[in-house]
Amino acid sequence: MCPWCHSFQFEITNLSGQGEVYSYSVLHHPQNPAFEYPVIAALIDLEEGVRVLSNLVDVDPEDVNIGMLVTVDFRPALHESQVPVFRPRSEVR
Amino acid sequence: MSHQLADASAIVGIGQTEFSKAAGRSETQLASEAIVAALDDAGLAPEEVDGLVSYTIDPVEETELVRSVGMQEIHFSSRVPYGGGGSQGVLLHAAAAVTAGVADVIVVYRAVKARSGERFGRASGGTRPTSAHSGSTAMQWCFPYGVLTPASWMSLNAVRYMHKSGATNEDFGRAVVQFRSFAARNPNAHFYEKPITLEEHQASRWIAEPAIRLFDCCQETDGAVAIVVTSAARASDSRQPVLISAAAGAAVFEEEIASNHYRPDLSVMDGSIAMGERLFGGFGISREDIDVALIYDAFSPIFLMQLEGLGFCEFGEAKDFIADGNIGPDGTLPCNTNGGLIGEGYIHGLNLSTEAVRQLRGDSCNQVPGASTALVGAGRTGVILRRP
Repeated sequence: MCPWCHSFQFEITNLSGQGEVYSYSVLHHPQNPAFEYPVIAALIDLEEGVRVLSNLVDVDPEDVNIGMLVTVDFRPALHESQVPVFRPRSEVR
Repeated sequence: MSHQLADASAIVGIGQTEFSKAAGRSETQLASEAIVAALDDAGLAPEEVDGLVSYTIDPVEETELVRSVGMQEIHFSSRVPYGGGGSQGVLLHAAAAVTAGVADVIVVYRAVKARSGERFGRASGGTRPTSAHSGSTAMQWCFPYGVLTPASWMSLNAVRYMHKSGATNEDFGRAVVQFRSFAARNPNAHFYEKPITLEEHQASRWIAEPAIRLFDCCQETDGAVAIVVTSAARASDSRQPVLISAAAGAAVFEEEIASNHYRPDLSVMDGSIAMGERLFGGFGISREDIDVALIYDAFSPIFLMQLEGLGFCEFGEAKDFIADGNIGPDGTLPCNTNGGLIGEGYIHGLNLSTEAVRQLRGDSCNQVPGASTALVGAGRTGVILRRP
């Protein structure tokens, strides 16, 4: 339910995939075999005002900083699904 | 005009098991042992108990406890949500229930095998969408990204806090060094006789960089703690009562416990701020009255954030408050004198409450001379206890 208007109606909207790093953390221990370490976890504030938790890719841990501009990318996950991750916006694929 | 709960109830007994890494017996047995010890301490018999309060995440069944300890008729029972942030809520529930007269003698308990049983800190990844009523439903958005442990969840908040406040991991380390110094003199503590230096803290490995090193983490522990609460009137003829002078809780919109990532400003603990305002708002007690504080330290960064949230420091000043020695034995606000959850062990924060009682009885291993008023704060729940 929407906490403001108490509506149950919603629609799916495309987002730009553009945002900036609100916070981050470089995870070292403990380790789970499903991931490559260190894992860079980040909270991304999207342009549309939504905050999402994700991973940062294509960047060295020491180069990550709060306020860094990032753009969405997609990485394969289990069952032929994909998860959204983020990489620095300046990098061109 | 004082609050209805102010000094209306009292803690008359505390009990615990040993704290270990492998208890070798069930949580129900651990809880039973702690409760019997607390009742002995209170000078009360099991059949006088008519209330039970614990946590939504506690594994012990009330029915089993009643049968195990020999309680005869329970008139009030409740469980507090919000994980460790709710850890002082059990005293709020107990105080409210005895003040309302729905129960006379309430046992508050927590039994956990956080090391030999299900470990919070193991990066196993959950298949559960939430953490079983710990107040962390957004956790499901963490798992696909390898954010699997409480340290990893909280580090995201801590790094934002560091960014805004200028605090560093070394600043967190100064608090840890003090807790370990207290723990070194506490025979019940995991780190008894094992103090560390700031250099040793800084040499411990990264768990979640740049916020949390190994020594910034609390100790996963097996054990149980129990506390007996009754009315102040009934407590007046008990051996060493401690008054519950204030009790408060504040669960804030969109604030989760561990995976708290969606409040507008993650550099502050909104629940701690709101709870502190209630604790110091309606009970006629000021921050200057607090002689000793026990503040929930699952991880060292949230200790600083709560010092500020509770109003003992302005935002960003906790690091200087600590560096100036204020939380030490001779400071203005000695903190976590049992060693905290980092030094003594993690019994969910209820072992902070028992240390507050020991301080007010004059029984602490790190006794603050003449301590008459103690605060226990755990994020969104807290109490102030006083010597009668």
